[in-house]
Amino acid sequence: MMKEQSQGGGISRRSFLKGVGGGLVATGTIADELLGQEASAQVDGAHVFKGKQIMALSVNGQRRSVEVEPRTTLLSALRGPLDLTGAKEVCDRGQCGACTVLVDGAPMLACMLLAIDVRNRAITTVEGLDEDGALSAVQEAFVELDGLMCGFCTPGLVMAATALLGKNPNPTSQDIRRGLSGNLCRCGTYPNVFAAVQKAAETMRG
Amino acid sequence: MAAWKKLDDMQVLSKDLPRVDAPDKVSGRAKYTHDVRLPGMLYAALLTSPHPAAKVISIDASAVQKLPGVRAVLTDAHPTGTVRFAGEYVAAVAATSPEIARDALDLFVVHYEERSFVVSTDAALQEGAPRVFADRENEQEARVREEGDVEAAFAAAHVVVEGAYRTQVQTHSPLETHGSVAQWDGDRLTVWDSTQAVHGVREGIAGMLEIPADKVRVICEHMGGGFGAKLQPGLYSVLAARLAKQAGAPVQLMLSRRDEHLSVGNRPDSIQQVRAGASADGKLIAFDAKTWGTSGISGGAGVSLPYVYAVPNWRTAHSDVLTNGGGGRAFRAPGRPQAAFSMEQVMDELAEKLGLDPLEFRLRNDPNETRQQQWALGAERFGWSARQPANSDTGPIKRGMGLGASIWFTGGRGTQVQMSVHGDGAVAVRCGTQDIGTGTRTYVAAIAAEELGLPVERITPLIGDSEYPYSGGSGGSTTVPSVAPAVKNAAEKTRAKLAERAVGLLGGGVDDVVFAAGRVRCNGQSIAFEELCAALGTEVLTVHGEWVEGLSGSGVAGCQFVEVEVDTYTGRIEVLRVLSVSDCGLILDRLTTRSQINGAIIQGVSYALFEERMMDAVTGTMVNAEFENYKIAGALETPDIDIVLFDQPERGVIGIGEPPTIPTSAAIANAVYNAIGVRMRQLPMTPDRVLNALQEV
Amino acid sequence: MIDFEYVDATQLKTLPALLDARWGQTEILAGGTDLLDRLKERLDRPRRVVNIKGIEELHGIGKTRRGLTIGALTTIAELEHSEAVHAEYAVLAEAAASIATPQLRQMGTLGGNLCQRPRCWYFRGGQYPCLKKGGFKCYAVEGQNKYNAIMGGGPSYIVHPSDAAPALIALSARLEIYGPDGRREEPVESFFQLPYQNLMRENRLQPNEVIARIHVPRPASGTRSTYVKFREKQSLDFAISSVAVALQFDGDIVEHARLVLGGVAPIPWRVAAAEDALVGGRLSEDAIERAAAAAVADAVPLEHNGYKVALSKNLVRRALGSLAA
Repeated sequence: MMKEQSQGGGISRRSFLKGVGGGLVATGTIADELLGQEASAQVDGAHVFKGKQIMALSVNGQRRSVEVEPRTTLLSALRGPLDLTGAKEVCDRGQCGACTVLVDGAPMLACMLLAIDVRNRAITTVEGLDEDGALSAVQEAFVELDGLMCGFCTPGLVMAATALLGKNPNPTSQDIRRGLSGNLCRCGTYPNVFAAVQKAAETMRG
Repeated sequence: MAAWKKLDDMQVLSKDLPRVDAPDKVSGRAKYTHDVRLPGMLYAALLTSPHPAAKVISIDASAVQKLPGVRAVLTDAHPTGTVRFAGEYVAAVAATSPEIARDALDLFVVHYEERSFVVSTDAALQEGAPRVFADRENEQEARVREEGDVEAAFAAAHVVVEGAYRTQVQTHSPLETHGSVAQWDGDRLTVWDSTQAVHGVREGIAGMLEIPADKVRVICEHMGGGFGAKLQPGLYSVLAARLAKQAGAPVQLMLSRRDEHLSVGNRPDSIQQVRAGASADGKLIAFDAKTWGTSGISGGAGVSLPYVYAVPNWRTAHSDVLTNGGGGRAFRAPGRPQAAFSMEQVMDELAEKLGLDPLEFRLRNDPNETRQQQWALGAERFGWSARQPANSDTGPIKRGMGLGASIWFTGGRGTQVQMSVHGDGAVAVRCGTQDIGTGTRTYVAAIAAEELGLPVERITPLIGDSEYPYSGGSGGSTTVPSVAPAVKNAAEKTRAKLAERAVGLLGGGVDDVVFAAGRVRCNGQSIAFEELCAALGTEVLTVHGEWVEGLSGSGVAGCQFVEVEVDTYTGRIEVLRVLSVSDCGLILDRLTTRSQINGAIIQGVSYALFEERMMDAVTGTMVNAEFENYKIAGALETPDIDIVLFDQPERGVIGIGEPPTIPTSAAIANAVYNAIGVRMRQLPMTPDRVLNALQEV
Repeated sequence: MIDFEYVDATQLKTLPALLDARWGQTEILAGGTDLLDRLKERLDRPRRVVNIKGIEELHGIGKTRRGLTIGALTTIAELEHSEAVHAEYAVLAEAAASIATPQLRQMGTLGGNLCQRPRCWYFRGGQYPCLKKGGFKCYAVEGQNKYNAIMGGGPSYIVHPSDAAPALIALSARLEIYGPDGRREEPVESFFQLPYQNLMRENRLQPNEVIARIHVPRPASGTRSTYVKFREKQSLDFAISSVAVALQFDGDIVEHARLVLGGVAPIPWRVAAAEDALVGGRLSEDAIERAAAAAVADAVPLEHNGYKVALSKNLVRRALGSLAA
């Protein structure tokens, strides 16, 4: 199911209503086809969303229905209606990495993505990293080597580290610093984070 | 008198103990104030003043009230209506979503009468500068302190140096902004607050709302950093409570990043005119400093000179300067990094004039016996003897070494603890302290575990709630010396009571009962801890512990050595490595202690090289109230850090949060001088300042 | 962000009709890393946001013997990791790797990087009605201007924040722009405009146009290029000054040179005088010094950004020095 949702934009599979010239018919609620509801406006062959939407997001392997506006950020949708508060709102401007999530496996900032923009993509938050309730190797290493203090940056750093090791299972010290350079930690726990990522890499290599 | 076990006898304490709440923090399960979600909860936003000085003439909220989704509005958020810095709260709104609350801010129509203002310390000191408060001079009366005969000492000095030093305003910038969730149940108020002081905030909120303190409960399960900025009750908590009352629903009010930079504290800046003299035999004999600093609209911008070195003749005169900026607050070792920045450079300059190595000059003038050992230990481990004369490297990229000392004073006391043991063997420790990221929850559990011979995971530490027994705010590095003895006291009493029960079951004498490895031994027999507890039945063994003498201390020393690389093409300073030697008495958890030292050093690097509140003089506003241009050191700015924990278990537990951040910027400045032969007397030492200083040479 | 309507565009040919011919009515969403910042600060209040990420033909890097064709929706991370880019277009690969943070490189696109608005805090801060927002003055002139322009400024003193643009100009790249009248091409170099030419827009794109592709001619053999960027922090920060340079050698003689500064002027700042100092001779220390001096000869700093003159000169030295090796 997730694979199907993550194909491109999914636009071509959408059932459209008729366009009205080059103009636009705007209505209150337009639902996502994933919930089996029809779009109610289009312009020039494109799908128009306005006002509150019920749509589905694929989060941590589950399809979750959520009410959003076009302007609702992914972070706001996660932390609000979806009650997934692991990703943190810190700067709200893409400057700190605390809201890092994986979108189709790539690390991105949920505060700078519109929820509606990622409705057909697979989103992984820190809540989705554990396997059958057990912490992932990255999480375990953060615990063991104290890669955290107040912990507010930690979910973002854990996600950035997970993404880094997904691409590069054998990182150098500089690879790790560079891979985590989009995440701010105000307590200054970086040295332990670097060690934890190195340790997790070793564990994952087996 | 109470005493800790010997280090060798400890099973749990003074080892590398991972923090007990780490699994929750790495998995997103840990709930911070920002994460609290209550049924029907509304989201609040604050309207703040764009003007640095103004009288609020009127606020029209009629359009706000009409916006669908808005549930409560406050137009009397400001206590007096006279705004003295840009960012003061003027009105507040609560709505069904954060987006609507933000929309609502655009609909307030506020009429301000703008007034003249001054935002820089220099400008505020000028004659004719606008007054921040009509009834007060901007330059507050100097506080003068003096010992010995300063002028005679200068006259007798073999060498004299002087210089003007400047340090910047630094904002605390905790990643979790200040904020609260307020929920009423009749006349009872529960406030989730991102705070360093659940008890203090409870009293403060009750006072501001004029309701009895026992009607208010403050909860802070986890908090995302404070560094001193979250020790006091916040006006935002009161606004959240008032909005919640008006709406009849719980309200969450978290400050925006911008509000956080502007309105809830900072480390004051400083201007320091410093002069010092030494005798021919390398003794510091004379010191004189005139200092100013702004704490915005409040006070407390002092600079703790003459810092740690012995000087028989000294004089300091400090004036707080009022400006139209957010008030300063305690920030990790208030007053000390500023003082270290000037004094450690003055020490290096005197040493150079005397032809002494900076380390040797410090050894001759440092009265602290512990630090005397630390200097020697650190110099050896760091390789200080490889330090070259200033500006030795010939290429554009030059290396240098520098050093600086740290100090801290406070102990702590007064904490109370309740410990309870249940029939199923469950053990809970309740204490109204809070974990601000320092590992408090972990050592609360660990101390109880050590005393009862149990694994740490068998203890449930319950903290961060004003319903738990009193403990003070987590500031001044006082938490561990205040909390640890009380937990140990409760655990000892609990063990004594359990020992009586064990004797009742097994015979023998109470003094012979041993709690170890999850078992209880006496009279030649051994039973599981749970087996002993089973005898409690439904009774809960409840014990009250309190702070006692003899388990904690105060006063620590430390020193740091750094090596930097300065790129004279670009002015960029890179800190390559830092060695820290610190004592903090008995170390309860070596892992989290090292974390705190790492963090203190990295914040010191950040203060030295990057962070600066930048004010626009024309509009009186902060131009970089975000995280792109308010620059905080990140992964690529982190030096290699080598930490030496200087064990002194006989002194009991002492806090370590603050001292290791004090000398970092000073040691970096000395290393920069060693690299390029130019003194950087202004923080932060940004590339523009380095290039300008190089060009002036 | 104010509420807006949202459209997923899926085809290039129908895109212009989704966009308004007036500025401010519609905004294009690609990576979103700049747009969302402006929307959140309410600098932009569009009626409609058009997401173009579904236009498949604008994705990806194509390689031919004549050069690269880079879809405008290609992410910075894709550029950074592209073998084809690394192999022969070092200046572009290095510029891409220097942008922002790992997360933002995954999100941001090359088209967006070229169209991003300036970072000046007086522009970004909603509370300052600066010239570029239709206000009366450039606050940087008498304000905090350590990051502002030392060349080409006036009446606004923004600097262009793109790292990719100087690199593309050094490589003589051209833009393929799509609009209501179909395709047009424009060199990257002439795409940008100074504040005195158009105060409100940093480039010549019309509101219902989009950058479709970027064509980068394959550098002649004997070309060496590099990007040297200076910033205070080694991540997130935009360039305080940067140098993109491509030199075509015949033996050890410099035949052609393109040298472009970033972060110092309201547009990527190509310095012909510096190029002239290099062409026709060896890349000697003396030539490098002359080029470095020429690169900043026209600088007129503001109160707090004089250091950028020496800095830029040194970066040119360093960039050229690295190619001489």
